[in-house]
Amino acid sequence: MLEVRGASYQYGEQPALRAIDLTVDAGQLVAVTGPNGSGKSTLLKLIARVIAPSAGEVRFEERALASWAPREYARRVGYLPQEPESAFPMRALDVVASGRAPFLHRFAWEDDADFAIAREALTTCDAAHLEGRYLDEMSGGERKRVFLARVLAGKPKLILLDEPLAALDIAHVQQFSRLMREVVDATGATILFASHDLNWASAFSDRVLVMRDGALAADLPSADLMRAEVIRELFGFDAAVVESGGRRWLVPGVGGDE
Amino acid sequence: MGVETRLSRAALLLGAILLIALALGVSFGATPLSWSDILRGDETSRAILMRIRLPRVVVAALVGAALAIAGATFQTLLRNPLADPFILGVSGGAACAAALATAFGLAQRVPGIVPAVAFAGACLSTLAVFVLARRRDHTDPTRLLLSGLVLNAFFSAIILISFSLSRQSDLTAALRWMMGSLFAASWTEAVILGVLLVPAFAALVWFAGDLRMLAFGEEDARSRGVEVERVKLVGFACASIVTGAAVAVSGIIGFVGLLVPHLIRLAWRRDFRFTLPLSAIGGAILLVLADLLSRSIVANSELPIGAFTALLGVPFFISLLRRAA
Repeated sequence: MLEVRGASYQYGEQPALRAIDLTVDAGQLVAVTGPNGSGKSTLLKLIARVIAPSAGEVRFEERALASWAPREYARRVGYLPQEPESAFPMRALDVVASGRAPFLHRFAWEDDADFAIAREALTTCDAAHLEGRYLDEMSGGERKRVFLARVLAGKPKLILLDEPLAALDIAHVQQFSRLMREVVDATGATILFASHDLNWASAFSDRVLVMRDGALAADLPSADLMRAEVIRELFGFDAAVVESGGRRWLVPGVGGDE
Repeated sequence: MGVETRLSRAALLLGAILLIALALGVSFGATPLSWSDILRGDETSRAILMRIRLPRVVVAALVGAALAIAGATFQTLLRNPLADPFILGVSGGAACAAALATAFGLAQRVPGIVPAVAFAGACLSTLAVFVLARRRDHTDPTRLLLSGLVLNAFFSAIILISFSLSRQSDLTAALRWMMGSLFAASWTEAVILGVLLVPAFAALVWFAGDLRMLAFGEEDARSRGVEVERVKLVGFACASIVTGAAVAVSGIIGFVGLLVPHLIRLAWRRDFRFTLPLSAIGGAILLVLADLLSRSIVANSELPIGAFTALLGVPFFISLLRRAA
């Protein structure tokens, strides 16, 4: 459903993405990982159509991004920025309902059906109790769940999440990771999410893309990432890998020199 | 209750208050005006009503609406609740042009030159702020605010120099204009304001659904199908034109653009589609009342209207702020 062909991007003189080639099929849960500044966010922005590639192209459902009408594309693809914001205090429910915007005609307001979808999305994100609260009264993690609900309210086929786990406590990281899996399984949507945390990037995903210096350094099934020799080769550090709950987990700072 | 119903009710409520404010504004003034005289067909009373009072309250309402619309739009565009036409240097540009016209003695020789150059100054300074803030293919809100601040400092310098070079007798008129006054309001001003305000307001309403999405950040808005650069251009153009028109007619009247959208957001706490039309009505109410006070507190003398927008608005603002917290 998604194809990236030789896509590059530069911030001024600084290259941020170098000739990325990538194909993603429908119904995959794909993690994008790599060190800070490796191009994870830029890649997601390119696919979200927030920025246009300086070379190469991105294709969605067999059509180049440039040929999609912006609103048509926005109805199919949802994007959660790394630091979602709202300049003015708004109720959580209104924030989530604004995720329906690409479906509204000019001058139309969100109707009961839109608010019902918004409530459903809040429930999915374990945030139904926040409905009447204002964004500026919430913790970072609560706000993140509200903004995720806002993305889900658009019922996108392709969901792009930039560091969705970053502001969450450990219980919600776990819950959120499961939630992404459930959304993919239940709706057949495709999710690409960026995370610099190798454990959570691989725990529930099908596939991991490893970025380094703006290039795609590796593209492998998630289970294959969690091997000491793979980590050493890709990230240049030694880590122990332990098994728990049928999954492999990385324990940094253990093994190697010791 | 649907969202539209809420908006209509709010608009009806504010509309009713505006009608009361207009009625008060027309009824009181330097010369006592009796409604029974007018109804009996007294020529003098009719002339005062039609040629002096009515145009003045209409201009006050339009200027108030224009400043509040501009404030609401700038705040949304810059995602900054502190943004208003003054901070962006739009009013400063208008004042600077008017001060120069005074210093060169043009203000006295050419009638109508002050509003004309003020309008041009407002539009030119917006353009300058935009050009200064533009980087590659986008305009960064923080750079826009900074450019506005810097330009304001520049304009202040020119205004000070112009004033020192102006003749004493010309200064009084210039100062009155700088402090904001509706002294010269007539039907001509009302028509000019209306002609500029109505299309700009219509354009903003047309793009209100897009503009409200900008409150979530430009990248987020773009990912939701909003054509961000085009919407920003329309927003800035409209807000600058209505500011320029308001400043040209009334001089510098502060607080309306900053205060009114805040009051509306504190009272209703909804997005730009609410804030825009309600700010227009709210700004009209505030300025009609401020104008009424400015010309009726001291007999045969007009106090600066800008002082009354603040005197009226600030206590109301503080009470809403305290209740919200």
